[in-house]
Amino acid sequence: MKRKTLIPLLAPLLLVLFAGDLFATGEEIFEIEQGFKLIPAVIMISLLCVYVGVGFLSKVSDTSGYWVAGQGIGKFGNGAAIASDWMSAASFMGVAGLLYLKGWFGLGYIIGWTGGYVLLLCLIAAQLRRFGKYTIPEFLGDRFDCHVVRLLAASVTVIIAITYAAAQFKGIGLICGWIFGMSYTASVFFAAGVVTAYMLISGMAGVTRNQQIQYVVLISAFMIPLWVLIQKAGGAGILPQLEYGPILSGLMEGKVAGGPLSAEEALELRRTFLPWGTGNFYQFIALVFTLMVGTAGLPHIMIRFYTVKNEDIARKSVLWGLFFIGLLYWSSPVYAVLGKFWNPNGGTTVADVIILSAPERANLGIAYIGYLASGAMAAGLSTVAGLLMAGASAIAHDWYATVLRPECTDKQALMVGRIFTAVLCVIVIVIALNPPALIAQIVAMAFAIAGNTIFPAVVLGIWYSRSNKYGALAGMVWGFGMTLLAMAGWILKIDFFGPEGWLPATSSALIVCPIAFLLNILVSNIMHEKVSEETADRGDSILRKLHNLPAPLPEAGTVPDTDAPRRI
Amino acid sequence: MAAKERVYVNFFRPSSANMKAEARIAAIVILFWALLSYLLPLCIFLAGMSDPAGMGESFFTRTRFLGFPLHYWLIAQGCTIGYILLCKLYCLLWDRKVSRLPR
Repeated sequence: MKRKTLIPLLAPLLLVLFAGDLFATGEEIFEIEQGFKLIPAVIMISLLCVYVGVGFLSKVSDTSGYWVAGQGIGKFGNGAAIASDWMSAASFMGVAGLLYLKGWFGLGYIIGWTGGYVLLLCLIAAQLRRFGKYTIPEFLGDRFDCHVVRLLAASVTVIIAITYAAAQFKGIGLICGWIFGMSYTASVFFAAGVVTAYMLISGMAGVTRNQQIQYVVLISAFMIPLWVLIQKAGGAGILPQLEYGPILSGLMEGKVAGGPLSAEEALELRRTFLPWGTGNFYQFIALVFTLMVGTAGLPHIMIRFYTVKNEDIARKSVLWGLFFIGLLYWSSPVYAVLGKFWNPNGGTTVADVIILSAPERANLGIAYIGYLASGAMAAGLSTVAGLLMAGASAIAHDWYATVLRPECTDKQALMVGRIFTAVLCVIVIVIALNPPALIAQIVAMAFAIAGNTIFPAVVLGIWYSRSNKYGALAGMVWGFGMTLLAMAGWILKIDFFGPEGWLPATSSALIVCPIAFLLNILVSNIMHEKVSEETADRGDSILRKLHNLPAPLPEAGTVPDTDAPRRI
Repeated sequence: MAAKERVYVNFFRPSSANMKAEARIAAIVILFWALLSYLLPLCIFLAGMSDPAGMGESFFTRTRFLGFPLHYWLIAQGCTIGYILLCKLYCLLWDRKVSRLPR
């Protein structure tokens, strides 16, 4: 192996070794025995070796392979990768806890996160595949022929990647800490070493293949305990997702495993599962809308459509991706309802460990607990890999290779991509080691940022030819600015931006996103005359590609090459 | 000099046969998506307005479907199953209407 390749590879390996020296007394995370656990550790190490091995076998040598897996992934594979990309450690461990605490209202997260894929499919997926390049900022930058739009989109991509990935590292760190008995710091380094190693070795091809394996691990780990648990709760144990209905109906009448509840407790339990017991109609709709447009606007999910063979597979992979995601979201409420059945009065401490304590309740043994933790680890790693890949591509491809050094070679761009993957990983580690108190809220706001900034610009970029760089910039600046304003208002505890206000920071898109659309349309029309012929030609050329329109007539043959990088 | 003819793309007024077919399919699926995502919660909201406690007790919360309170099943499983079927519908319609058009 050449020395140039060795240097970036050695860094993550050193991180892993470094982590080994930092073994310390494990943090108290779950109410299970602390210290090094041999069998779960063997299971997890074996799976980690598989991930790195797959990454090594899928080694790539060109930029297309690194960023978009050589565009050779099929519909099941890409569907599993979409699902795996999507299911973070938070989805894996957190949704059931959320449903446990929020009851019916929490279902808004499930329909928000799944319904967004329908929007993505109808408005974006096939057209983006026809564009056929590497990143979302690249699409926006080329479509509007504007580096400011490109840089803004790239910055938003990086912000989303960093905040989202930092939260994942926190989860991964806690799991490693529990299995290996490491300190939190050591386990964050350990996890970072693993994820960086296989991303640097393989790029998107390895990440995509690993995501397929990780999907199988995480979904099987998630679903197997349900069969045992539902039998313990009195079900037949055939299809738990359809068997928990009577238990839920019983809960609404105050029937729980531990005998009768007091009238007050029974009322509280009933309130949890009634429609507006834990939130009102406006809050529900605002949450659902924000999560939907946010999901459809997340760059690391959109980038998936560049990795498939053709647009037909792009469409079908959304269908399969949604089905694979559905398997998890049909199962999460079972955990929540069974949790309430056995422990109706538990608070956040019960909600936090609802998944990881399940195998213990089901008597599945220590090996299974290891497998489940590996599943959660797989969920976190796959999401982090997808995020870092999207973030690094935004910097290396859209900042460096397109704006800063358009004359750079393919090899240099690939090297810069690898360097920035590692740099982003280091930034994420630093944040994960000292997570700000509000990290969970900031992550939730990633959906608002994506939905308010990226989604309107991409949809109008595809479906409205008059949309131009002025309109796109106005819409994006409004969306980004308002999301930041709402975040600041939330942090400063201003009621208007709070959970019960009119513009909740985590659900701001119901108001901000439609205005971003309107602003984009309005400003584009007002500034229509200011758009240069050359820019309009470039936009037309992209629109022809997106909508399979015929090429211009020969006498109008002054359409420049859209692949050539330009500045404004 | 006459102004150059520009590409015209508008979701609501598609210009080519191909685009027309794509936009029509997308519009149909988005319509069903909106009904599922917003009309359904609205129905649950309107039906529950008579609940004096303001928690939305109604026909939806009292009816049982497969053992589930109907309002819970509709959102927890009905909507997500609906979204998957909508994706399937989109792919089917596309194969029938768009893929057969000459390029």
